Amino acid sequence: MSQSVTLQRGQAVDFYGRLEEEVREHQSGAALLFLYCEGQPGTESCVQQFVDQLPGVETEVLRDESTGVLAVVMPGFTLDAAHYQALLLKQHLQSRLQQADPRITLAAIQEAPSMQTMKQMAETARLSISSDIHIFTEEDTGGAQSRILIVDQDKAVREFLQIRLTMQGYETLEAVDGLEALELIPKWEPDLVLTELNLYGIDGLPFIHHIQQLDMKHPPKIVVLTEKRVEQTISQCFQSGVDDYVTKPFSPVELDARIRRCLH
Amino acid sequence: MAVSALYFVIIMLSFRNIWDIYRRASYSKYNTLSGSELVPSVSLLVPAYNEELTITENVRCLMTLNYPTYEVIVINDGSSDRTLDVLIKEYELTLLPNPEVRGRLETKPVRGVYYNPQYPHLYVIDKENGGKADSLNAGINLSRYPLISSIDADSLLEKDALIRMARMYMENPEETVAIGGDVRIANGCVIENGAVKNVSLPRKMWPMFQSIEYMKAFLGGRIGWSQINGLIIVSGAFGMFRKDYVIAVGGYRGGYPGEDMNIIIKLHRYMLENKIRYRVAFCPEAVCWTQAPDTYNILSNQRKRWGRGNLKNMIENRDMVFNPKYKVMGLLTMPYNVIFEALNPYFRITGLLALLGYVMLDMTNWHVLLVFGLVNFLSGYLLSIGALLLEEIAFRRYTKLSDLVKMLLFSALKFVGYHQLGVLWRVQGHIQYLQNNNSWGTMTRQSWKDKKEAA
Amino acid sequence: MFSNLALAYGFIYVCLGLIAAGIIVLFYMKIKHNAEQREMEHYAAKHHDYFVYVQAHLHDDIKLELPPGKLTRAERRVIQAKFIEWIEQFKGEAREKLLHLCREAGFVEEDLRALSSPRKGRRIEAAYRLGGMRAEEAVPQLQQLMNRTRYGPQTIILARAIAKSANEQRQIREMLSRLLSYGKAIHHMAADILLETRLDAPSLMRKLLDDQDPGLVKVALVAMWGQAVPAAVPTLNRLVGSEEKDVRAEAVKLYLGSNPALKDDTIAALMRDHAWEVRAAAAKALGRLHAAGSIPLLAEALKDENWHVRNNSAESLAMLGEQGFETLCQAALTGTGPARETALYRIERIMAKEGDHEEVEQMVAFNKKKLVYDRYFGIQPSKRIGTVAGVGGDYTA
Repeated sequence: MSQSVTLQRGQAVDFYGRLEEEVREHQSGAALLFLYCEGQPGTESCVQQFVDQLPGVETEVLRDESTGVLAVVMPGFTLDAAHYQALLLKQHLQSRLQQADPRITLAAIQEAPSMQTMKQMAETARLSISSDIHIFTEEDTGGAQSRILIVDQDKAVREFLQIRLTMQGYETLEAVDGLEALELIPKWEPDLVLTELNLYGIDGLPFIHHIQQLDMKHPPKIVVLTEKRVEQTISQCFQSGVDDYVTKPFSPVELDARIRRCLH
Repeated sequence: MAVSALYFVIIMLSFRNIWDIYRRASYSKYNTLSGSELVPSVSLLVPAYNEELTITENVRCLMTLNYPTYEVIVINDGSSDRTLDVLIKEYELTLLPNPEVRGRLETKPVRGVYYNPQYPHLYVIDKENGGKADSLNAGINLSRYPLISSIDADSLLEKDALIRMARMYMENPEETVAIGGDVRIANGCVIENGAVKNVSLPRKMWPMFQSIEYMKAFLGGRIGWSQINGLIIVSGAFGMFRKDYVIAVGGYRGGYPGEDMNIIIKLHRYMLENKIRYRVAFCPEAVCWTQAPDTYNILSNQRKRWGRGNLKNMIENRDMVFNPKYKVMGLLTMPYNVIFEALNPYFRITGLLALLGYVMLDMTNWHVLLVFGLVNFLSGYLLSIGALLLEEIAFRRYTKLSDLVKMLLFSALKFVGYHQLGVLWRVQGHIQYLQNNNSWGTMTRQSWKDKKEAA
Repeated sequence: MFSNLALAYGFIYVCLGLIAAGIIVLFYMKIKHNAEQREMEHYAAKHHDYFVYVQAHLHDDIKLELPPGKLTRAERRVIQAKFIEWIEQFKGEAREKLLHLCREAGFVEEDLRALSSPRKGRRIEAAYRLGGMRAEEAVPQLQQLMNRTRYGPQTIILARAIAKSANEQRQIREMLSRLLSYGKAIHHMAADILLETRLDAPSLMRKLLDDQDPGLVKVALVAMWGQAVPAAVPTLNRLVGSEEKDVRAEAVKLYLGSNPALKDDTIAALMRDHAWEVRAAAAKALGRLHAAGSIPLLAEALKDENWHVRNNSAESLAMLGEQGFETLCQAALTGTGPARETALYRIERIMAKEGDHEEVEQMVAFNKKKLVYDRYFGIQPSKRIGTVAGVGGDYTA
């Protein structure tokens, strides 16, 4: 084993060790933020500058020398507040540094997470392909969660459901229309299909029928989330074996509950 | 001169109305309406004669409209190709035993009605050949809903088209007897899964000319005409009617082209004679994309047919012309149609001949001819610009700057050749009428898929 | 000739001028619009993180922050449009949170000012957005605006904005009666608008049912389709006897939909009503009520002149067990004209369902009917041919 590798490992242990210490200090809860900004040497000072002006935060930005990932502990911050600061931080970086494209992963913690989890968080930040701020959830720890396929032609609805359901710990995938969904279902084997009735390519009712005729070991549950409030359509849906029917506008909390009920 | 003056008045009316149209289109939430139980239900009638290439795409489009309750009735008008087989195979249809036919309009014998409970909104009627009007009547007989909408089998509706039309209908349900939609040329657009995905101008010459022509007619003309309730035609490609009144006037008239104009004239006549308040509306925000003929032959056949149908309708309803009993219809629309649509070619030809003769007599006056031509060209071009402006204000279907340049160019080119051909075709149509030639002419379709590859 | 020529020259110049102006305007509009579009996209991308933040924490029990930084006009528009889109999409607490954000960001205030703009386009735009933001403080101004506007698409836009924003039942009532005052039969549209309210809809409808104005009663009745409002049943009972034909028909439909216990003579009276809508509604309800005494009434109604009445009667007969089905078969064999056709069609619909029945009970019921069918039509399927019966028909639909 060469000396440099040993050195790196030492640094890594040092980084996570300090981080753990830091987290332990704030028993009342804190937000933990990992940031990685490729090829931008000035990032650290910039982040420090940002952290310094946060009220009630007197922490130092930690840096993993081997990977270049930065970590910030934000004591007393809830997830939403930290999320907001994270997007401010991102804007701050982008305005200071030319072409900065920071990757941020975020989690709210009650007690010190294991070294393993922290490493995973750091890696998600470093390897993330999208520049969106990532909220670290159970999904990332690789546990077995239910899979939900979202089918809707409206991009805004898909985006919301995706954000929301991922935060609830589900694994999600999106399909724009019925035909795409019918291709995806046998390949991906979702536990639940959340679909609009008004789709391109194929109408809602035949679409549901086609799902049920797919040859699958565990046929997915089907929940309809739609604009259609026509009584006849609703009863037709239930007759063809839909598990639940929610009309838009919908209450996100209620939708969560109904999905949970379907899956358990 | 008077022609142009009237054109200008009409286009001014269009301009006056365009902001309202823009606002009602952008500040209405169609999503909520499209799920509401309160929207009237519609029967879509699709007459199909030898449409095996386009029919599946068309039906797929109609089956996925954004609309609460509707049914699609395809009427196979004794096609000699596999139109019926294609549908039966695609939707696994079976013959419906003892189908219930409620209407009693005269039609050619119906051979059967096909259905599949998996697609509860689709019916296919198979009947013996009797023409487009006959097929529509058969569709009316089977339809269950109070509104009917006729759609050509080579056309695709935008997902929101029907609900936009219904919104307009709901604004004044009692008085609205018919609503026309905006027809645009789909050649050049990318079609996917029964929907127009990528809007673009046609690449070929003939469809391009028609594209401009349609825009001018629909936006520049019909918006204005509908303002004074003087619409004489609701395009056969996409229109919506109140079934009770269509039946009251005896349904569509068979045996002759121009059934779409005929039904509107009959509705006007019926409502005016019975002194019922009514309106024939035009809904430019409801868009239907249609396949335009892209060869000279097919196009000329289509136009001759139109010329024939127009003449027939005018002769049949000549009592309405200048008859104050028929209000706007009798005093403005009908005379306008007779003089400027039906007889226009002859005026032009005689005018030109007279002018030529005049110039021949005195060669020094050659520039009079030039001035005359210029006046003609410029006033026409100005109208085209007006139509393009209307499009730009309220619809903006073509977003590219290059498309705008192309449209401006073709609007000008239209006056060299295409315009004159239009006159010629119309005269030929009239001759056909006098010869009692009543053939439909060839009309070959191209599959939407080929279109996509060709585009 | 020369004066004509001079006129022609003049015309040519005017045309040329107008054409040049038109082309310039066209290009200007196109370029401006495309630039605006790009700007909007840019801002949407810029605030993407913020939008994700809002969506991720809509359910949390917290106060959401406003978008960061100093915003340009166009930026505010983009954010506001996004908020309104969500408001229409969500219900409950999530919506309340977004409404609060709109207010805090000053969007409501801004559009309130725009409401008194001299330009009509801006006013309508502001009204639409105020409705989207459920701004109750805008209602009086919106009402004024609506009273000043001639009937047209704008009226509907304004009415919707009022229905969405109003926080008093009185305001909704005023809006509706204004809407009906134009003398157009827009009860369905009005009902659809009414249902946009955020007030307690059942109580609002109950109140409207008791209104003096028959138009408003009708709107409420139409709006009640598909909505169970048990508390309204007594009022409905009263309206069943209404003089207005439309009101009576709608009321009967809704009243019978609540499965009330009916006396025999009430049923008979309803089945004899002048309005076909009433007869049709009664025929439909009889199937669900399972009153054996109704079979002769329904058999008689198979001969009704109206298709809906006939069809509903046949449907109800099919629901009344073996006996009802037998009546249908009889009508199909011995009846004439429309009665026979209606019965035949219904029988075919039932027989076509063979094999669809999973429950044992359903299967038993179906087999009983099949026996009756075979007795009347024989076992050979020759009767079930695909031709169209050429008898009868009417255009009452």
